[in-house]
Amino acid sequence: MVGVVDEAAVEAGIRQAGGELAAALPQGARGPMRALDDRAMDFASQDAELRAALFRFVDVVPACRSLDDLARHLTGFLDDVEDPPQPIGIAMRMGDSRAGRAALGAAAAAGVRRMAHRFIVGQTPREAHGVLRGLWDDGVAASVDLLGEATVTADEADRYAARCASALDDLAAVYAPLPERPLLERDSAGPTPRVNLSVKVSALTPLLRPDAPELGKRDAAVRLRGLLRRARELGAHLHIDIESFDSREAVTELVLELLGEEEFRDGPSTGLVVQAYLRDSPALLERILAWAATDRRRFPLTIRLVKGAYWDHEVVEARQHGWEAPVFEVKAQSDRNFEALTTTLLGARPRVRVAIASHNLRSVANAIAVNRLLGGAPADVEFQVLRGLGDDLQGALAASGQRVRAYCPVGDLVAGMAYLVRRLLENTSNESFLAEQAAGVPLDELLAAP
Amino acid sequence: MIAPFRNEPVLELRRSPQRDALLEALGALDSDLPLRVPVWIGDEPRMGDELTSTDPGDPERVVAVSAAATPAEVEHAVARAVEGAPAWAATPADARAGALLRAAAILRERRHRLAALAVRECAKPWAEADADVCEAIDFLEYYARGAIALEQAPPGLLQLPGERNTLAYRPRGVVAVIAPWNFPLAIPLGMAAAGLATGNTVILKPAEQAPGCALELVRALREGGVPGDAIALLPGEGEVGAALVRHRDVATVAFTGSVAVGLDILAAAARVPAGGRHLTRVVAEMGGKNCVIVDADADLDDAVPGIVRSAFDFAGQKCSAASRVLVHEAVADALITRLAGAVDVLVVGQADTFGTAVPPVIEHAAQERVERYAELGARTGRVLTARAFDVPSAGWFCPPTVACDLPGDSALLHEEIFGPVLAVERVPNVDAACDRVAELAFALTGGLYCRNPRTVDHVVQRSPVGNLYVNRPITGAMVGRQPFGGNRLSGTGSKAGGPDYLLHFVEPQVVTENTVRHGLVV
Repeated sequence: MVGVVDEAAVEAGIRQAGGELAAALPQGARGPMRALDDRAMDFASQDAELRAALFRFVDVVPACRSLDDLARHLTGFLDDVEDPPQPIGIAMRMGDSRAGRAALGAAAAAGVRRMAHRFIVGQTPREAHGVLRGLWDDGVAASVDLLGEATVTADEADRYAARCASALDDLAAVYAPLPERPLLERDSAGPTPRVNLSVKVSALTPLLRPDAPELGKRDAAVRLRGLLRRARELGAHLHIDIESFDSREAVTELVLELLGEEEFRDGPSTGLVVQAYLRDSPALLERILAWAATDRRRFPLTIRLVKGAYWDHEVVEARQHGWEAPVFEVKAQSDRNFEALTTTLLGARPRVRVAIASHNLRSVANAIAVNRLLGGAPADVEFQVLRGLGDDLQGALAASGQRVRAYCPVGDLVAGMAYLVRRLLENTSNESFLAEQAAGVPLDELLAAP
Repeated sequence: MIAPFRNEPVLELRRSPQRDALLEALGALDSDLPLRVPVWIGDEPRMGDELTSTDPGDPERVVAVSAAATPAEVEHAVARAVEGAPAWAATPADARAGALLRAAAILRERRHRLAALAVRECAKPWAEADADVCEAIDFLEYYARGAIALEQAPPGLLQLPGERNTLAYRPRGVVAVIAPWNFPLAIPLGMAAAGLATGNTVILKPAEQAPGCALELVRALREGGVPGDAIALLPGEGEVGAALVRHRDVATVAFTGSVAVGLDILAAAARVPAGGRHLTRVVAEMGGKNCVIVDADADLDDAVPGIVRSAFDFAGQKCSAASRVLVHEAVADALITRLAGAVDVLVVGQADTFGTAVPPVIEHAAQERVERYAELGARTGRVLTARAFDVPSAGWFCPPTVACDLPGDSALLHEEIFGPVLAVERVPNVDAACDRVAELAFALTGGLYCRNPRTVDHVVQRSPVGNLYVNRPITGAMVGRQPFGGNRLSGTGSKAGGPDYLLHFVEPQVVTENTVRHGLVV
């Protein structure tokens, strides 16, 4: 499928695919609770201090010991907001009495829980069964991610590995009886597993050190091998997530080294992630593709292309140390790179499988257009969305016959808070595609070249 | 015009080429060992072998062979410093700054070798050694700019018709710098640079454990253009420092080290010797007993790694290192379990190996001292760390220890250990924790993990420490960002790397001139 794609043809294809998706997006319909959350999010997007106060509050919710404690934290954060909007003034007055604090704490806790449920599908994989089945019924596959506290001890790493192993078992039981969905279960390269679990190397070892990648690799390898074996036995797909640049070398090297081991040639199906916001991502992808070119395996390596979720962290860390940031600092550069990497990846099939993970209509339409121009079938490129954030896009993709997978975090509120805060930040960032879309930016602009 | 100050970037050690460059520099350094360190006064270096420094991870390896200053050499050094003082004081601040900035450029060029030297001579792990080089550069850059500003833009005075009032800062004379081994580059150079930038002449007495590092510093200063009479190197044991402190021509003593030595210096400096014509000023930084408070709403995902780094990086051999954790009882069990587990996975090993968290301590006596405290912890409390660490047999290694349930008067809770030992105590609330902090004689650094802004404000109000860190590790102060220094018995309240540090090295002089002649303002 390698071939040079013509730019004008791609632009035309993007407009066509984008138009199809836009037509399939739901128009305005929202549940009342969802509308309430969206209003809160609007509030937060418009006022930086309020946004900071709300996120600091959400972050501390699981550590609060009582409703009173919750309310005290909330009013403590809101104290820092100058010119608070009216509802905040009411909240502050409630904070003055014990009864008021109990009511305020209860309301705030309920609000946070509700928001969490939008992004997190259940406390345990078992609890997520209903959601996963519902998705499958709608023609949507899932990748489950187990949220957890940071791994700082060997015990915690063992427990995370055990949770992953048991999640694989649970998921195998959920998916076994479900009806066939050919679009989700096969592409031109062959069958693809129904069960799909995303794992984090940072949770598999307490020893990831930026300046000593070998240390973390050695320690995580033992636990990751166990999970790879379990996934192979169950016919499941194991996707290794990527996090911040500090661990990028260790994680990528670990995955390529383990997959190179003889016992994993025949499976399981596995994948890793490339972050398009990294300046060196084209070189990294070249390296991975060169590896894939010499590696003969039963299931081609799946590469999930993302923009990257640690932009603030990378920029802050680089500034504090006086380094050049490893990420593009202008969003359009990431967007352009995402499209270039999409083309490279789609051209590299069938040596690799490709998953395009973006909520940006232009980025998604670009992948559809390039796939069509290269003669790929819809099943030959997978689209991935985040549960709670990309629900509308997910519906539109499924409706227009694309293969789509929802990334579904599972975990309790304590474990899920860091994830939730990241998603909320994303949802209220003024640069986010979703915000532009919600603000009614015209389709032509949304599909314009970055 | 000099560009505004910015911190020297540490190496990006997450990238393998940067790590390789350091290992290569270490290889090159090893083939040059042992370094030869002279007593260096004026243009006359005197070689000798009275003193040796060895690799704490391999005591057979001699890192530097050094001369040690004799009493006559101390006299000679002070005499030359006195002679050199007028010329250096008369050099304009920007010319003095120029020499310091050139020295900074030289250190920058040699940064890999210097980091390697700190790894070998003091067993500083790579990241810490590299940060030490950067901080040394920062001090030069920061004080050079500060001294120019002090000379060119001193604070203004009230001016009335008929008189002209000016305030200027003049150098005090000879500065004796008595330096520790734990930041073998940054601390001696920081103290020396402050003295030099403000026009004083400086005699550096480095720690006897780190003469090799000190030689590199003096070499860079001289190559940068600091005259031989303005900077002397006097390696030696404690008596060299004691003689300097008591010398009637030493105007200022800049000291960083233990509280015992610091108090001795302060007492000695307070006595004006026969023929003495000034009060010796002492700028002292003397260690701490640093506590981290963990409130019930703390994010333990941050607190546990933050505490581990603060207490055990570089084997806890920093005056800013954490040695007590005061944790709210509601989260104490969770914190203790996670802390013990996180310490159990620390790598105890050679400083030259990337990934080592706990390198050997500086010398045999330090190892014995740490072992005594660890045994006391085991005998009178409960030791939480379970793993038997694999440590090399040669070298002054001490496995990390976390102890809890200690009696309130335990030495582990009150004395500075300067090693990888951490005590954990449960408290009913944050105020109880503040009470315990308030009882201490030390007040250098402190930490707080807490997510309630009102509690943070409250603890800030109650905290006596010089540097309080909220929701982050309590070590790693940066020049210009976290001016560093303690209160109470931790120090004289000076803040290294801060805007008012240079004032300790100068004397203010006010000139008032009558501008009225024959009833006219001219």
